[in-house]
Amino acid sequence: MVAFRSADNSGRQSGLLLRCILFCLLAIGLMILDKRYDQLSGIRRALSVVVYPLQVAITSPFEAWDWLHESFRSRDALRADKARLEQELRMARFRLQRYEAMETEVRQLQGLRENTTGVAHKFIVGDVMNVDVDAFRARVMVDKGARDGVFVGQAVLDEGGVFGQVARVSELTCEVILISDATHAIPAQVNRNGLRTVVLGSGDPNHLKLPYVSTAADIVKGDLLVTSGLGGVFPAGYPVGTVIEVRRDPAASLAEVDVQPTAALDRSRLLLFIWVDAAK
Amino acid sequence: MTREDQLPRTSMTISALAALILAIVPLPYPLDVLRPDFLVLVVLYWSILAPRTGGLALAFIAGLALDVLHGIVLGQHAFALTLMAAWATQVRLRVRVFSMLHQSLTILAFLAGYQFILFWIDGATGNPVTFLSRWFAPVIGALIWPALAGLLNRLNDR
Repeated sequence: MVAFRSADNSGRQSGLLLRCILFCLLAIGLMILDKRYDQLSGIRRALSVVVYPLQVAITSPFEAWDWLHESFRSRDALRADKARLEQELRMARFRLQRYEAMETEVRQLQGLRENTTGVAHKFIVGDVMNVDVDAFRARVMVDKGARDGVFVGQAVLDEGGVFGQVARVSELTCEVILISDATHAIPAQVNRNGLRTVVLGSGDPNHLKLPYVSTAADIVKGDLLVTSGLGGVFPAGYPVGTVIEVRRDPAASLAEVDVQPTAALDRSRLLLFIWVDAAK
Repeated sequence: MTREDQLPRTSMTISALAALILAIVPLPYPLDVLRPDFLVLVVLYWSILAPRTGGLALAFIAGLALDVLHGIVLGQHAFALTLMAAWATQVRLRVRVFSMLHQSLTILAFLAGYQFILFWIDGATGNPVTFLSRWFAPVIGALIWPALAGLLNRLNDR
């Protein structure tokens, strides 16, 4: 049984309503300014810097553990890693030999199509911070912010494919909204035949939805979906997901398509922020 | 009763900071949905026990911190928390003499009200979260209230 010990011997109740109204008006003012006029990004950035130490304090024990874990790995494991990485690097170099030529080719073709989205020409790598943003929204906090040139709406990739886009930027950190967020949509096309559609998030990091595909559309299990470049946020040609199931109900006009994202949305720690060169 | 003028500012600040940390410590998937609103519980505790210590300013600042950490609109949590803290302050003399069960039920009402205001603002600003699981947090919060109030009382005694 918990009995309250009174530390409050004031009868000061009269001001309560007044103060409540005052603070509520202040909060409502903030909300209106933030939502309608977008005036508060400066204040928000400043406040984010204030809570940044807290976020670092939480994320650092995890990092310290990772560091310890790394430090005590055996020599053999490191050797094996080194061999594997060298092998991968060799493979990557082979592939890269043709890259320059192909990039020029792509630019020329894009020029023909008068497509404005080009090839990513600059990128930085960000680290996902071990901080929970919101249990009900697919968002992660990343340790790159306005100081590094990150901007709202920037496309974010991981090594598998499209990861999400930047939703909010503060001075030192940014918030990335994942493509699996229930409110996120990304214009995409089927790589095999160019069928354009929109991929929606479902709230589940291993599952995306494709709600606007007619039953007659040419889409089959195993199709790769890539970004179409429409909408201007995501550059064209990056993998979004693979079709894992197509259900066609003859009575319905739209097919039900399940897509698995190619990016490891629930596991990736390193993210790529890209700047796209508008190849005009 | 011994400290008529001395307000428990230190314990208030420490408990609020600890609650803020608990609010963003990463939890594995099924648990993060069940995470109670620790900071709200702490603010309610101080509103009921010692409204002069932090008062509505504490609620407002704590809400603002939550907004910065995971709000969609700045001012959302601040608004909800201020209203609930004011309500708790208003009825504090009654809540203090309630039995533990009765207290927990009252806290459940505060937490549900808080969650409802957030839900409403989310909807009004066009970012609705309609999962039923969002209503788990108030229930868990009410369940841990006796333990949390006991802990804070202990902290306060020293």
